[in-house]
Amino acid sequence: MTVTGQEIADYVDRVRSALADLPPDVRDELTEDLPEHLAEVAAETDGTLVDRLGTPEAYAAELRAAAGADGRPTGSSVERRLAALRGRFAARLRGLDTRLGPLFGYATASEFFRPLRPAWWLVRGWLAALLISAALGEPSGLLPRLGGSVLASLFLLVGTVLVSVWLGRRSVGLLGWPRRLLRLGTAALLLFSFAVMLNVDQHASGAGSVLPYSEILVGNPYDSIKDVYVYDEEGRLVRNAQLFDQDGVPIRLGRPTCLDASGNVPVPRNAYPHCPDQAPFGSPAPSSVAPAPTVSAAPPSVTPSGSAPPAPSGSAPPTPSESAPTASPPPAPSGSAPAGVPEPTR
Amino acid sequence: MDTTQLLKGVLDLAVLAVLRDEDGYGYDILRRLREAGLEEVGDASVYGTLRRLFAAGLLTTYVVPSESGPHRKYYALNAAGRDQLARSGKTWRSFATTMDALLDDRGMAA
Repeated sequence: MTVTGQEIADYVDRVRSALADLPPDVRDELTEDLPEHLAEVAAETDGTLVDRLGTPEAYAAELRAAAGADGRPTGSSVERRLAALRGRFAARLRGLDTRLGPLFGYATASEFFRPLRPAWWLVRGWLAALLISAALGEPSGLLPRLGGSVLASLFLLVGTVLVSVWLGRRSVGLLGWPRRLLRLGTAALLLFSFAVMLNVDQHASGAGSVLPYSEILVGNPYDSIKDVYVYDEEGRLVRNAQLFDQDGVPIRLGRPTCLDASGNVPVPRNAYPHCPDQAPFGSPAPSSVAPAPTVSAAPPSVTPSGSAPPAPSGSAPPTPSESAPTASPPPAPSGSAPAGVPEPTR
Repeated sequence: MDTTQLLKGVLDLAVLAVLRDEDGYGYDILRRLREAGLEEVGDASVYGTLRRLFAAGLLTTYVVPSESGPHRKYYALNAAGRDQLARSGKTWRSFATTMDALLDDRGMAA
């Protein structure tokens, strides 16, 4: 069998586009048996479908004439005009197809793209997996993710690719709404693929700009140094220490952040520290300034007895005779007082 | 004379005739017509004719699932189709007789 499924699909497409001016239901009706018929023709004869049946356009014209579908005034005038427009558009597209063909080294551009269809099916499956993964709120990337499980994502990917290939092989005979649905889904996936590409592109360019920046940070750990303090072995601060590297070149680190005696900002020079007064471990000279104890420690304030702990009023078993005089201290503000107080006073 | 011109007029009748004894699907009907001697009949013409006869209410259809390959749509004559076949058949016979006589008179027949 020299005729492939793709050739059949292409033939059907061209017949259908030649009938584009008919109402969709009439067109579907007329071409309903066509894929099956072409398969039978292909199985029985050698050579291409065009050799055997003539051009799809001629086939369409014959079909239209025999079915008497020509002068059928179906649909409104708007629908008919739309259909005619579709027909003209399809003709334009075919013209473009033939004109672009030589660019690819083929008679028509579609002849070049047709063998690439299975590759598109694979890509479509991958895109579908990405879309499902994104719809489930998984982090986006170039591979589908499913609940953080590698195996699950792999299953998802393989599944969608298989379904896509299966659909690609089956779509030859699809007519009416399943065909429209498939095209709609494909269009949605294409839109989605743009989003994926944008996302990937953003990540790619973002990584490129972060890398050199972090190198600078890592390569210069002395950026945060403002001053250098040198202590001798006795732990005393060395003043006006000079720093040199192995070649005798002065090492410049930091810059003065304090004012000198005259109230000016000193000129940076190779003498450290710039600001001896800011030494981290002790003062430059043994000064007599002992760390003054802060005066903030307030003595425990003595407050009047108004807030003194209330006398155990109700709970204390009152012995009326002896405790009566001593029970005079602060009237207990508690609610239970009335119960206990009257008794002792009596 | 080009047979395709003649065919246009009688294809309806021919299709109805091959469906008289047995239902058939598109390609099957096409094959029967060719085997009967109508070599020039076009694939699209037969399919178009089938659609038109169906739309005119002369045929019924049913789909038969097949284990190998696609499902097939079978066409069958209904009562109106058989009526039409009988009437058209009569018309054709009288027409053919007339033509035969015409050709015989002129001495052109073999």
